[in-house]
Amino acid sequence: MFYQILVNGLIAGAIYALVAAGFSLIYSTVKFVHFAHGGVIALSAYMLYLFYSMLGLPFWLAAIVAILSGSIFGVAIDYFIYRPLRKRRASPTIILVASVSVLLLLESFNLIFFGADVKSINFLDIGTGLTLGPVIITSLQIFIVASSISLLILLFAFMKYTKMGKAMRAVADNKSVAEIVGISSERIYTWSFALGSLIAGFAAVLIALEQNIEPTMGTALMIKGFTASIIGGVESVAGGVLGAFLLGLAENLGIWWLPSSYKDAIAFVILFIFLLFRPEGILGVKKSNK
Amino acid sequence: MLSAYFIHLLILIGIYIILALALQLALGYSGILNLGHIAFYGLGAYTSALLALSGWPFLLCFLAGGAVAMGSAFLLSLITSKIKGDYLALVTMGFCFVIYSLMLNLDELTRGPLGLPGIPRPTIFGFSFSDNFSYLILVTIIAGLVYLIIKRITDSPFGKLLEAVRDNELAAKILGKDTFKVKTFSLALSAFFAGLAGSLYAHYITFIDPSSFSLMQIIPIASIVIVGGLASLPGTVLATVVLTLIPEALRFVGFPSSILGPMRQIIYALVLLLILIYRPKGFFGKVELE
Repeated sequence: MFYQILVNGLIAGAIYALVAAGFSLIYSTVKFVHFAHGGVIALSAYMLYLFYSMLGLPFWLAAIVAILSGSIFGVAIDYFIYRPLRKRRASPTIILVASVSVLLLLESFNLIFFGADVKSINFLDIGTGLTLGPVIITSLQIFIVASSISLLILLFAFMKYTKMGKAMRAVADNKSVAEIVGISSERIYTWSFALGSLIAGFAAVLIALEQNIEPTMGTALMIKGFTASIIGGVESVAGGVLGAFLLGLAENLGIWWLPSSYKDAIAFVILFIFLLFRPEGILGVKKSNK
Repeated sequence: MLSAYFIHLLILIGIYIILALALQLALGYSGILNLGHIAFYGLGAYTSALLALSGWPFLLCFLAGGAVAMGSAFLLSLITSKIKGDYLALVTMGFCFVIYSLMLNLDELTRGPLGLPGIPRPTIFGFSFSDNFSYLILVTIIAGLVYLIIKRITDSPFGKLLEAVRDNELAAKILGKDTFKVKTFSLALSAFFAGLAGSLYAHYITFIDPSSFSLMQIIPIASIVIVGGLASLPGTVLATVVLTLIPEALRFVGFPSSILGPMRQIIYALVLLLILIYRPKGFFGKVELE
């Protein structure tokens, strides 16, 4: 039983990690809470439903379209909403309020165009599990954990070794200095939205396969991804990933005692505790000027 | 027929005016970015409904609704005394989500997602407000009283102190003012009025369920407060009337009722985004949101 909980925590953590990684990547450069990230995931999941289940495209093609559309939505939100706000020097708090509105906007669009009922993508048979020693796990879940981990490794390599990754880290570290050496911060913002939302699209495809698609999934996922980032340290992608796995484990251990619908509340109680006592997260560095 | 519908709208507007004025006190006058305002509204509604269903007289239920909301605001203020800005906004959102989870999960008390039906219409000193017209009078009187009380407070020296804390907390501290006490008082009073609004809502509709008090319900109220303008009471009232009536026009254009709800949310989200981008002071505002 204990091992099964551990494995369930790992699967949940892998999904949260994908949400948190994209979110943290964006936060680290732009320095405001892009709450609508969850909305981008939901919308991408609906794109998969649209192209695969409704229009009958081959699954892999539909998945690629969904992932790319995630990236496009992210960049569009930045361009049409956040950029005008940045231009008039709005505070991060205002941008947070704006981003909650965007999330509501996306949710309402999903409701209007796709209806309130729960959709599922029946591409893989998720009913039968493999028995590995004391635990039962489906091949899709193994795929989720494996692809989540490989994508995260790719992301780290990108951030560490490519020119764009280095420029992103430079802007994240010190925007003014990065601009002095000739890095355009606006351009980097666009790229981080593109890349962060691409990861969101990838997360959307995996979530659509493993769970159901529903209009409010964006808010629920965002709460998890955000909590994970805060636990690990919102300024770093590594922190977000660490936080995601910890959160996945904490939730699955928690519903040992509590009804499973309390899962979300567990996330928020942990979020509360971290925001109050260690807002910089586990990996974060305390800033004296905050 | 039309007049019955009109009375219904006026009652909702009255309840919304109380809710928006309450948020105005915390957000506009005291600068507390409380995105969890709906939690107080919900606590007021549930407290009042549960007490009324167990046989308490309306006036006591009504005041208890306000008092419970106030008590929770006091606790929230205690735990958030050290944080501000977007972190505070996030913790208040988290608070709202925790309250929502409790409504959904405390089955024995709240009947979870089934909601509480059969909440009695109020009776005060033997007079029953069972028809909508008399209920409208009740709501109008209470909304008027709340308006006068908030106006009295914000015009008083204490109101100026609130604004001083909003504009420059450090300066207010240097002048020897206990800014924590000031903000706690403001948030608690704001929650009290929101709780009263919740009670009026519950006894009017006679049925409540958690969906009326979800996190995203903050967007309509925040739109009203920001569109009307921070620290403007007449602006808030006018914005409530206008923003409640605009989505109603959709009903007459002939949209099916299943998309009316999401359409309404889209309107509120768009209005809020546009005002944040193009006119952050709102229409009658004295200060900008920070």
